Amino acid sequence: MIPRPRDPAVAVTVLVLWGLLGLFILYPLGMMMFRVLSDGQGGYTLEGLAKLLTDKHHLRAFWNSLLLAALVGSIGTVIGFLFAFTAARAKLPAWLLTVIDAAVLLPLVSPPFTTAIAMIFSFGPRGLITYELLGMKGVTVYGLTSTMFSEVLTYFPIAYLTLRPILAAIDSNIEGMAMSLGASRWKVFTTVTLPLCVPGLANAFLLLFAASLADFATPLILAGNVFPVLPTQAYLQITGLFDLRGGAALSLSLLFPALAVFLLQRYWVGRRFYVTVTGKGAGQAPFDSISPVTRAVLLSLCAAVTVVIVYFYALLLYASLVMAFGANHTLTLMHYKVVFTEGLRAIRDTLIIAVIAMPLGGIYGLLLGYLVAKKEFPGRRAMEMVSMINYALPGTIVGIAYLIAFNDPPIVLTGTAAIIIACYIFRYGPTGIRATIALLSQIDKSLEEASTGLGAGSGTTFRRITLPLVLPAFFAGLGVVFIRSMTAISATIFLVSLSWTLVTVKILENMTELSLGPAAAFSVLVVAIVFVVVGLISWVLRFFRGRGMPAMSLLGG
Amino acid sequence: MSVNAPVRVEVVGLSRRFVHRVKGEVYAARDVTLDVAPGEFLTLLGPSGCGKTTTLRMIAGFEKPDAGRVRFSGEDVTFLPANQRNIGFVFQNYALFPHLSVAENVSYGLEMRKVAAAEIATRVSEVLKLVGLAGYEQQFSSQLSGGEQQRVALARAIVIQPRVLLFDEPLSNLDAKLRVQMRHEIRELQQRLGITTIYVTHDQEEAMAVSDRIVVMSQGSVLAQGSALDLYHRPGSEFVARFIGRVNLVAARVVEAKGGTARVEALGAVMEVVAVGAVKAGDEVRLVLRPEALEVVRGEGTRHWTAKVTSRVFLGEKIEYRLDVAGTSLLVVRYNAGPAETLEEGSTVGLRVIEDAASLLPKEDA
Repeated sequence: MIPRPRDPAVAVTVLVLWGLLGLFILYPLGMMMFRVLSDGQGGYTLEGLAKLLTDKHHLRAFWNSLLLAALVGSIGTVIGFLFAFTAARAKLPAWLLTVIDAAVLLPLVSPPFTTAIAMIFSFGPRGLITYELLGMKGVTVYGLTSTMFSEVLTYFPIAYLTLRPILAAIDSNIEGMAMSLGASRWKVFTTVTLPLCVPGLANAFLLLFAASLADFATPLILAGNVFPVLPTQAYLQITGLFDLRGGAALSLSLLFPALAVFLLQRYWVGRRFYVTVTGKGAGQAPFDSISPVTRAVLLSLCAAVTVVIVYFYALLLYASLVMAFGANHTLTLMHYKVVFTEGLRAIRDTLIIAVIAMPLGGIYGLLLGYLVAKKEFPGRRAMEMVSMINYALPGTIVGIAYLIAFNDPPIVLTGTAAIIIACYIFRYGPTGIRATIALLSQIDKSLEEASTGLGAGSGTTFRRITLPLVLPAFFAGLGVVFIRSMTAISATIFLVSLSWTLVTVKILENMTELSLGPAAAFSVLVVAIVFVVVGLISWVLRFFRGRGMPAMSLLGG
Repeated sequence: MSVNAPVRVEVVGLSRRFVHRVKGEVYAARDVTLDVAPGEFLTLLGPSGCGKTTTLRMIAGFEKPDAGRVRFSGEDVTFLPANQRNIGFVFQNYALFPHLSVAENVSYGLEMRKVAAAEIATRVSEVLKLVGLAGYEQQFSSQLSGGEQQRVALARAIVIQPRVLLFDEPLSNLDAKLRVQMRHEIRELQQRLGITTIYVTHDQEEAMAVSDRIVVMSQGSVLAQGSALDLYHRPGSEFVARFIGRVNLVAARVVEAKGGTARVEALGAVMEVVAVGAVKAGDEVRLVLRPEALEVVRGEGTRHWTAKVTSRVFLGEKIEYRLDVAGTSLLVVRYNAGPAETLEEGSTVGLRVIEDAASLLPKEDA
């Protein structure tokens, strides 16, 4: 084969990207490892680390984290599958599907601790159900059960979004075939549908496991002292005991389960997806796979979960509108007044950061995804892997690593907006990378050849054919960076400063100071902003779909 | 539509290797040499993996050969990028730009050639009329049927007045009826425009229907070439005989050979057929009998063999029979001449070989 002519533009872009990946992914991680392993006198030691990790309290936090993640993974996957199966097979009217999608979208685009706050309003010492309805006094909402419940509600939508396309892609003729061979509906489900979903189920479980493992805000609010988990322990080690090294070491112990999950997901589950899309079949009317009774049962289960979600958000809205939830239920706008006076700076900072991070993250995702998918250059696979690191790691690790790396020369970014923006770009840009790669793999290379054959050069082909076709991925990437910039907390709680703070951090502060009203008002505001932006971007994506483009979900990939 | 002088396409010793995971280094195309006359419609025919598409893509410039030359009217274009060759390529999946309308798809190549906007508009509407898609300008490919997409792809390829038209299995995504209709349209259009055309297909009937000349390829190499008539009647090898049309191959022995004909003995009967190549008395050969080269004789008349009808497939205008002659099963196709003429399974009939429709092959393929 004749080697391709070297393209200087590609070479320069690759070098620049490697520089950025090195600076914002590899360098902070390296500095963190160095900090944990260094003995302070130029040597290396595992002693401090070992002592920290064999500490009884920390060890319990480690096992608690794993237990919580396993529970959230299992229960969340089951609920996600329930929703996905109902949506794909129960022949729901379009409006009902929209209702389900909207309800499922709520926890997904909210700050991760919104349900946790609602839990307090509902089941806390002054909770609507525990105190107002049941008249119980002195109940404690803190612990494993409520943390798990809250995380399941927050993260099961990920399982739903993972499983629904898989169920939809199963050729309905395969199920019809099994039925024609004499299998009952239940048999078809257990011998055909479910086995075909196994890789998807495993994938959903791993995604939820990782999300729960990394979740910081929910346990901080709900786990309390009785159920310590690693991310909160690491945070308290740093903010409470000012022990940066200890916190770093604690968060690093999350690395192993997180890494195991990532590798399993990529190299084990990834290879086991069955391709059942066989030309025809997709897009056919789904075959009559569930009985009316089953349909009713599935629908009521989904309805029950949906009602809980809607109830939680309604409670949040209500709490933001009354004087003092649980004590004085007079309607008032005073919490919003607080939000728009004292809290105005946090809102402004958050929006500035999100608006800057959004286009940069979008371009980063598009560029890296395009290079990795379409160009041959040394270290291509490595680049893809490295770009995924900050995305796969728990936010606590990334935040602490940035804190350690950018606090001292040569690069001092602590206290600036830049450190938060960089964190968002490299942590949430990978969604855009994946979407770009996925979209490019759907675009047959004959399209680019057709353009070349008609006389277009490679630049023109990229501008006129490839770029318009991957724009949906760009907008999806853009949207995710914006949403996460508005809602994330686990990494950035370590990066905020007096000059730059975030709404999510403000909410958490209010929660710890027990100013529940302003916390609720802030949460409602964030959810509202995010919903508007999601709506706008979905509208843009729909415009592309109208022109015969491959469909692209905002939160897929 | 104005047309430039047709181009002669010469392909000399074109080869392309790749490394196969199991077999090691293999040739996708091996020493392929073709000479396509100006305005000729040439078809590369062969089973999948025979190298026909690779050859076409090297002519287009989408792939670079490891050896050999491609010339358009004497100009060496072997390493000219595809976007400077001025070719019209029709892909198997049409490769319509999904984000562009029909008109934008068709005008794309003209824009690349910096044609003035007014002329683009005229030429696009002319070519869409030519392929029967007037009024479809603003549609998107997802709104079109397979046949319509095919026509857009065709319009997009010819509107730039290419030096060469290249087709890569363009009809394989269409249903049977549409396939027949489209191949007539492609042939008619090519005749009208007079553009030198190279067409790749694995469908021998399609190849015979559209081509001036057919090149049969197998395992990367050219095996035979000629008009459909030649290849059908004088296949020259078992591969070609079996790939183009259907055939009965019957073991035979030359009794006497003289002046281009040979008397051969097969299944106990002696007949005189055209001999291709040198054969001499005593040679073991194979008799090439197309299904229509065998005539059923029911009453009086010359008969070479007596045969028993073992099966019958009724196809409407024709009927296919399996006949047994001394343990050898032969395929015979007869036009349906009415119920009275239909042979019953189990009955015994006479068979006559239509001698000038038969030919010979050596016992083993070289």
